[in-house]
Amino acid sequence: MRSALQITVKDFKLRIRDRSAIVLGVIAPVALAFILNMVFGSAFDTSGGLDLGYGLVDEDGSEVSQAFAETLEQLEDEGLLTVTVFENREAAERETDDGDLDSYFVLEQGLGQAVLSGSAATIRVIGDVDAPTSTQIAASIAERFVSGVEATRLAILTTLEVGGATPTDEMIAALQQEARSAAIAYRVAETAASTRQLDPTTYFSAGMGVFFLFFTVQFGVSGLLEEERDGTLARLLAAPIRGESVIAGKAILSFLLGVLSMAILAGATTLLIGAEWGNPLGVAVLIAAGVLSGVGIMALVAAVAKTPEGAGNLGSVIAVILGMLGGTFFQIGQGGDLLSQLSLITPHAWFLRGLGDLAGGASWTAVLPAAGAMMLFAVVTGVIGWFMLRRRLAR
Amino acid sequence: MGNILEASGLTRTFDQLIAVDDVSFEIAEGETFGLLGPNGAGKTTSISMIAGLLEPDSGRVTVEGVEISTGSTKGKASIGLVPQELAIYPDLTAVENLVFFGRLYGMNREELARRVDEVLDVIGLTDRRDDLTKEFSGGMKRRLNIGIGLLHRPRMLILDEPTVGVDPQSRNAILESVEQLSSEGMAVLYTTHYMEEAERLCDRVAIIDEGAIQAEGTRRELVALVGETDRISIAAEGDLDAASSAAGSMSGVREAVTGDHTIEVLAADASSILPELLGRVSGAGVNIHGVEVIEPNLEAVFLHLTGKALRD
Repeated sequence: MRSALQITVKDFKLRIRDRSAIVLGVIAPVALAFILNMVFGSAFDTSGGLDLGYGLVDEDGSEVSQAFAETLEQLEDEGLLTVTVFENREAAERETDDGDLDSYFVLEQGLGQAVLSGSAATIRVIGDVDAPTSTQIAASIAERFVSGVEATRLAILTTLEVGGATPTDEMIAALQQEARSAAIAYRVAETAASTRQLDPTTYFSAGMGVFFLFFTVQFGVSGLLEEERDGTLARLLAAPIRGESVIAGKAILSFLLGVLSMAILAGATTLLIGAEWGNPLGVAVLIAAGVLSGVGIMALVAAVAKTPEGAGNLGSVIAVILGMLGGTFFQIGQGGDLLSQLSLITPHAWFLRGLGDLAGGASWTAVLPAAGAMMLFAVVTGVIGWFMLRRRLAR
Repeated sequence: MGNILEASGLTRTFDQLIAVDDVSFEIAEGETFGLLGPNGAGKTTSISMIAGLLEPDSGRVTVEGVEISTGSTKGKASIGLVPQELAIYPDLTAVENLVFFGRLYGMNREELARRVDEVLDVIGLTDRRDDLTKEFSGGMKRRLNIGIGLLHRPRMLILDEPTVGVDPQSRNAILESVEQLSSEGMAVLYTTHYMEEAERLCDRVAIIDEGAIQAEGTRRELVALVGETDRISIAAEGDLDAASSAAGSMSGVREAVTGDHTIEVLAADASSILPELLGRVSGAGVNIHGVEVIEPNLEAVFLHLTGKALRD
């Protein structure tokens, strides 16, 4: 173990001096997280409605349109979105064009009458092209409201048809209440989903961190191949130390570089761009498990590759594929169920999922399933890589 | 003096290629043993097995009676390896390189500090001790490469072609260092394809080719083994056949033949017959323009044994 640590210290010194680990492990992910957050932050804003800004233009003024407005007010009261009421469409459109609103609802004249007379009920949603997700959520709110109203209307009409009566005030009140309930039901579902979503700043910080992590840990284990190429491995193996110490020294360096880069990244993005990583202990567990999975995978890459250049190329390809599939550049849920399921074969997805579990303010134990999944990657790939590298050294 | 190294029956194949075939030799304390052969002869593979970097298919190596193997650390502290490649870290200083490897050999802080100073003095890098080695010349890197091998005071030093790519001044410094170490009692295994180095340094030489030792002994033993003689080449004009005949009849001359404006004479000891030889050739009516005496060397022995030159 002492020999392994001596090798780790030596390699750490070398990596710091050539600055490559600092660039890939810290500067690149922080810079990219910052840039991606600036560029895509609003488009990916799914933080439970906290930053959702909507406008409302009520041209109808009916009981039904009033019910919809009250539904939005309730959501606003709970801090899930903000609603600004406008007198006309032009004013709302100006605000949207200026980027002050994500989208606005237009309750056209005749909405209430249409509902009562059995015609199709329509709520228009006009959105900012730069905030597609927010607009999609707005459309969903409107759609859910209209569906609820339609279902209730049909039930009432069926009753009237059978009984031959005209609608009473009680029936109309029931219709309004059903419509409110429908919207609130939708809101509850959305709130539940939002606890598993990271805000864009944290998402891009963590995504870039875990993406570059796989490049950073490569510096350790692939260093074995560099020693082999440069002739220093022969000298190490000629010393009275075990071959396993050399592998362990490299693996420890990988772990150290990975943990350091992630810790610096978490600290820097928290201070500089306001990322919220969550419970520190939970984040530490996730980082440790994520780094170990990276070390395992890159140890396997080093064992398979014949040269350091080959290991670098193969490692980069694997890091990019796993990173993309794991949702480090875009939230994988937007790619459909299949992609979402596929993403679980990557440690990246588990890392982000673990952070998502923390995002709702959960305790550190919430990350244990995700950390366990990453440890599985670490153990399987690490053990195979370890034995292959050991065999390679004991020629 | 007892043997420090004993290698017996070392054999190693890579796929179908027999890289080393039944190689055996011993090196005594204070002895410098040369492994002379062209590139690809099996020198580095032999050294790798002796240093415990490569497991032999058969055979065994002991250093001071301790068996060396890739799976064990035993005996390795007695060996100092100077690989053919520059096994140093360019982004570390000379001192940092030495200290790192010294620690791997379990040297304590005080001993290491003292030895680092001593070794830097021996290899002439004291004034560059804190410079990154990537700023060193090729010769300086070679010297540091050797210094690392010496640091832990090994009982046996293995030098694998240590002067490849080195300027004449540094080469001379390296050869002097090896002579000094040998005189201090260190056993040295020296591989080279430079005949002059083997002749200068080595008490005994093994000629290796195609993985097998072709012959082993002192320089004189090897020369005698293959029956090599001195060669006298006389550049002349006139009746060269008559002069050859006159030379060939002399005692001590094994053979005299006429060449292209030369007479080639083979003799056991050129210096003892040269005056009489020149008199006879001159007396045969030829004008002598020049004389060259070529003593047999390891190059000639190698040529004789393998049918090819050392640098082939």
